[in-house]
Amino acid sequence: MSSKLKNWSIRQSLDHPVRTILLSIIFTAIFAFGIKWLVIEDDMMKILPQDMETVQTWNTIKDEFGSTDIMFIAFGKPGESVYNENIFRTLWDVSNAIELLPNVYEVMSITTVNRIDGDDGFMEVSNLQPNRELSAEEIASIRKYIEENENIASRFVSENGDFFNIVVKPIPNAKTDVFSEQVLGITEELLSDYTVHYGGQIYLMGTMPAILTGDVARLMRVGVIVMAIILLLSLRSVPAVLMNFTVIILSLLTMAGSMGWLFKLTGSDKFLFSLMNTSMPMVLLTIANSDGVHVITKFFKKVRITKDAREAAKITMESLLLPIFLTSITTISAFLTMIFSPLQQLVGYGISIAIGIAWAWILSSLMLPAMLSLRKWKMDSKAIKKAGVFERFIDAVGSRIMRYHKIVLASALIVVGIVAFGIKKLNIEVNIMTFFQKGSEIRNSLEFLDEEMSGTMDMQFRIEGDIKDPETLKQMEIIQEFLESHEKVAASISIADIIKMMHKAVENNDPNYEFIPETRGKVNNLFTLYSMSGDPEDFESLVDYDYETGLVTTLMSTISTTEIAHFVNETEDFIDKNIDEDLSISTTGILVVFRDLTDKIVESSFISIFSSIIVICIIASIFFKRIRWGLIAITPLISSVLLTFGLMGWTGIDFSHITAILSSVIIGVGVDFAIHYISQFKRISNRSNDHTNLTNEVIDDVGYPIILNSGSNMAFGALLASTFIPIQQIGGLMVFAMLSTSLGTLTLMASIVEIFKNKLVEKNKEN
Amino acid sequence: MSKYLIIIVMLFSYTFGQSGYEIAKSADERETPKDMTTDLSMILTNKKGRTRTSTLHSVSKDNAEKQIIWFLAPADDKGVAFLKIEHAGADDEMRLWLPAFNKVRRISSNQKSDSFMGSDMSYEDMTSRTLDEYSYELLGEELLDDVLCFKLEITPKPEAESNYSKFITWISKDEYLTLQEEYYDKSGRLEKVRTIKYAEQKGYIVPTEIFVKNVQTKHSTLLTFDELKLDTGIEDNLFQEKNLKRLPR
Repeated sequence: MSSKLKNWSIRQSLDHPVRTILLSIIFTAIFAFGIKWLVIEDDMMKILPQDMETVQTWNTIKDEFGSTDIMFIAFGKPGESVYNENIFRTLWDVSNAIELLPNVYEVMSITTVNRIDGDDGFMEVSNLQPNRELSAEEIASIRKYIEENENIASRFVSENGDFFNIVVKPIPNAKTDVFSEQVLGITEELLSDYTVHYGGQIYLMGTMPAILTGDVARLMRVGVIVMAIILLLSLRSVPAVLMNFTVIILSLLTMAGSMGWLFKLTGSDKFLFSLMNTSMPMVLLTIANSDGVHVITKFFKKVRITKDAREAAKITMESLLLPIFLTSITTISAFLTMIFSPLQQLVGYGISIAIGIAWAWILSSLMLPAMLSLRKWKMDSKAIKKAGVFERFIDAVGSRIMRYHKIVLASALIVVGIVAFGIKKLNIEVNIMTFFQKGSEIRNSLEFLDEEMSGTMDMQFRIEGDIKDPETLKQMEIIQEFLESHEKVAASISIADIIKMMHKAVENNDPNYEFIPETRGKVNNLFTLYSMSGDPEDFESLVDYDYETGLVTTLMSTISTTEIAHFVNETEDFIDKNIDEDLSISTTGILVVFRDLTDKIVESSFISIFSSIIVICIIASIFFKRIRWGLIAITPLISSVLLTFGLMGWTGIDFSHITAILSSVIIGVGVDFAIHYISQFKRISNRSNDHTNLTNEVIDDVGYPIILNSGSNMAFGALLASTFIPIQQIGGLMVFAMLSTSLGTLTLMASIVEIFKNKLVEKNKEN
Repeated sequence: MSKYLIIIVMLFSYTFGQSGYEIAKSADERETPKDMTTDLSMILTNKKGRTRTSTLHSVSKDNAEKQIIWFLAPADDKGVAFLKIEHAGADDEMRLWLPAFNKVRRISSNQKSDSFMGSDMSYEDMTSRTLDEYSYELLGEELLDDVLCFKLEITPKPEAESNYSKFITWISKDEYLTLQEEYYDKSGRLEKVRTIKYAEQKGYIVPTEIFVKNVQTKHSTLLTFDELKLDTGIEDNLFQEKNLKRLPR
């Protein structure tokens, strides 16, 4: 930053403070106006990258067979048989009411499925539940049919026979949140007398984002209050804390507004605020807080000496404008690397948060000093006269680090080494079941559906071939047998099952005929026979109109992305070895898409971490005019990344798309600490030739804001109270990340700088 | 006052116009051939525009109370045959010949809403209505493709056991031909629209094309009647199970 620009900034801020504050507010208002167009998108489908192969297959399947998403509603009275007229009546009412919803494509339940009967030269396709009101004989007949047809029993009646299951499919491209809300509206009204369990990806995706964002927003508010209290206890000045929060709030408004503006101007889904963007406010808050805390603590330190607010603000600006500019430019660059992310939502994330950081930089550099200089500070107040607890603590730590720098370095390296070893154990996976605490309503429902019903997850296999050819149908049957042998698969369904049922029915319900007929003619005759009494849409979800593509759907209990990856690989291997090459088989479903999505998020997180570190190293090297400084600047970042991911490995916290956001926080905040430290080191070393107490002085100067910053950001430990386990983990890891970045700077980096002090100072002088 | 108005309207209607019931009765009593032989082409089209085409040979008698249909194409369906005999006051008799199984199978007729041969027509749609099981309201007169029509609302009475809540029917004023009919489902939503085209042959006016569009599923059926032969003296004994196996040349 040139001295011309620095002087201009100081003049603007201190000679025209009111104008500077007003202009800052006006420009923020212009940005914030964009919030009008900020779209909060709870529909998870919007975030799926359309170029992913599995997403494309999935879209093709949706186009051919309708939506493949499923919501499960299991209801009943524990221990009470479902075979009574009351519950059948309720099932009838609920099924029919849901079927009328505009976002519902199909409802499958005992009320809506058909039965195929054949006896004495007679075949009939009829409704399994013929009427709302049922006689005892009709209920007995339904029960007999269900018990004889495992495929129906496993999908629609619980193992204990005390719950019915309703399977609901949305129309293609239905908004998951709207769909879930509409269905819940019906069930909450009609099933109030029953125990109800909900499941299915579409239900989780439809309800979870809203609950999750609500939960995070609530805890964030708690976090902000705790942060304010920590700042207040340390700074002991309400106006100072309010000024800091003004910078934070205006930055947040600018970020949200810019996202709205960008969405309005580009119309791109990249700028929708989705579940993946929920971490943005927290990340910007920590970064903006960092800038503000550095300015305010420095100001207090200087005003204590000068007793003149304007002079103190001037010294603060002279000292901090460059490091704040540098920290901002490095963090902005780090976030802008997200432009290369394969996930479009992260592109919008990176751009919008970069704007927020840039605005936080401008506000901390111009508006905050203007506000500080305007206020009439009481020079005899405790806040000004006496150093705070944190400040005194850091003074004591600084001298010890300098004295025992080699031991500190060795200890830090040992700790980093041991903890980093845990990275080997780091598990990259998403298991929706483990998102919810044991005993929570959602977890109980998922466990119930897994144990008593056919699970809550599904996967599809799209098979291209002549579906009327018995050989194709037999191959489908082989695949289904393999799939059903997997412990997580409860049932599978395909047109082959229907053909077998019809074959049995046409042969007078003789169970010996429950197999695929041997000729194409017979298969075709069965379809024709069915068409005489079934509906044309009955097979829509199983086979396409031209009988050229069939779909095998597996119903599964909750499975993690690692397990699904193994399962898909095993199945593909089985298909390669056992299935005719003429058949083209592709695997998809929300689970497979989710596996690929998680891989992409994790991949993009790692790319982001490495590219950010490189970018930060380059920028620091350029500004501090030595590669050595660039390398030193990234030391606390690298150690913090190693420590955090190592700790996750040791403690068994999965690296998922949710915990991946920590890398952004570490980089955003960690780099700030390092750059402030280096800037101060260079400033102080330039001032005198006596470098005996250099490290001590630097730690005295920047240690306090670093610790205060870190301590106040630890307020996000409030997330530990979340009902979602990954959010709890983020809360805990956030505290750890703050500790590791601040201590990494004040111990590891400080001792390295102390060891190479003379060389660094010499080089510094040369420059 | 309103009572008098109703009486005046009713008297006016009675004196100068026909009631809905009378119009429906006139349409129902229109003269039809004793028997009909035709080659049918049935084109089913789904919501994505994909089609399935079948060719059938149909022989019917007594206003289609007796009907036998042989499947001629596609090759997969060739040889399949269907026999229907309606019985007043009892379930209809329906049988299907499955050549690949060498078996005749009876088909249930009590599900009136079931689709017929994968088409958009249900058995109820294909069966003539018993006049007194429905109530009729004349909604007015309307031009339909330049033909002046009576527009009737037909509501099934409980004894009709219909799967629909009502029908809106356009009946031509001159010939009492049903030109278009809308079918509303139990919840009152429009489900299907059927349009019929006619031609005159041997003094009869007979359908040559029936198009049914299910507006809810966006599936449609086009039935075209070719090679129409009327009153050829078809015997009752044609409508027997044994004849299903005899594919006409």
